Amino acid sequence: MALRYEYTVETEDLAKYYKMGTYIVKALDGVNLKIRRGEYVSIMGPSGAGKTTLFNMIGGLDRPTRGKVYIDEVDISKLDAYELAWLRARKIGYIFQTFNLIPVLTALENVMLPMIFAGVRREERIRKARELLERVGLGDRLYHRPTELSGGQQQRVAIARALANDPAIVLADEPTGNLDLQTGLRIVQLLKELNVERGVTVITATHDLKMIDVSDRIVWIRDGMIERVEERAAIELGAEELQL
Amino acid sequence: MASVEVGEVRLPLSEAIYISLQNVRRRFARVAITTASVTLGIAFFVSLMMMASFQAQVGGAGVQPYMYWLLFISLLVCGVGITNSMLIAVAERYKEIGTYKCLGALDRHILEMFLIEAILVGGIGGLAGYVIGLVAAVIYAVVNPSVGLQSALIALVKPNPAVPLAGPLPVAAGLLVLGVGIAVLLSLIATLYPAYYAARLNPAEALRYEI
Repeated sequence: MALRYEYTVETEDLAKYYKMGTYIVKALDGVNLKIRRGEYVSIMGPSGAGKTTLFNMIGGLDRPTRGKVYIDEVDISKLDAYELAWLRARKIGYIFQTFNLIPVLTALENVMLPMIFAGVRREERIRKARELLERVGLGDRLYHRPTELSGGQQQRVAIARALANDPAIVLADEPTGNLDLQTGLRIVQLLKELNVERGVTVITATHDLKMIDVSDRIVWIRDGMIERVEERAAIELGAEELQL
Repeated sequence: MASVEVGEVRLPLSEAIYISLQNVRRRFARVAITTASVTLGIAFFVSLMMMASFQAQVGGAGVQPYMYWLLFISLLVCGVGITNSMLIAVAERYKEIGTYKCLGALDRHILEMFLIEAILVGGIGGLAGYVIGLVAAVIYAVVNPSVGLQSALIALVKPNPAVPLAGPLPVAAGLLVLGVGIAVLLSLIATLYPAYYAARLNPAEALRYEI
């Protein structure tokens, strides 16, 4: 196994500017963030605050304008396309608001996909994908295609897929955004269970207040900057008030 | 500072073919439109060459130089049609391409999947085009008293040197090989640009795309 680093994710003065015609939009402007191994962190903030941009930077999906992102102490801006693809396949699991399953493949095949890229043997792929789908409660839906599954079930397949290569980090961008309250709550609980059970670091970008209860830390961002960081203990009361 | 021990990232050919096959099967309506373009071009090519061979068999004019020009233009139009419909297929799958990249796909894996699909489309379209062209040519021979079914059948099993590239083969077999070959090649060339475009997409941008 790889070495155990204290911080799984570290950002240093991270910034991303987009050029919109003549003026520059500062989607992220100097974010310094350290996320410990096994932590459950929620990044909260209004739409347009830079949550998704931060998600893309940490996930190695886009290059920052300035600053650095370290995943397990590796500066990912220095990686080439091949190394980046490997990092995405092995170190990071992605969960999206719109589930993003491959529509032409079954649930089992979707979960197997990241293992193909990682070079896992076929028998092992099938065994592991089946085990993961059983874990998320879809043992009887292995051969269903995404169109034959409900939103909540699709998101469970996506969670199983995100865990396929035992990543260090699971990145979830608005994972409950397209789900009703009850289904969303069950997805949040499932993410928390897997976080505890597997020790995987979970980072969610969200404005779903249901996330507050399960998060170890909440990072509030606004206008591309960290507004404040709250530990779970300090905000529990506030969360109850908000839900009333 | 730690360094990465980078392992392998791969997509075995068998898996790429499987995914492309599923794409063709599950998106049949979309693929059918692309295939239709290939089918029409090849049907025109095959029927024209066969009719000319029948004519030659009964002492007619045979393959004329202007026909090559006609064929070239028709195949060009067909190629533009494939490119167009493949560009739409790529646009429809922006999000999917972004997802593949998140799961570890390299640019060349995306390229590979689209090109395999192009070969499938070309193969199916070429075969269908050959059958339609053959049927059309035989119908032409039957309804045309100066040709007749008898001489058409003889012409089909005889080589016709005027058929480009496949001259030494019997007309029926030569045009099958040539028709499917041109279809696959045409489909590949026409898909190259859309596939390259898809492969180069930045994952963050591809994921942001809403249809």
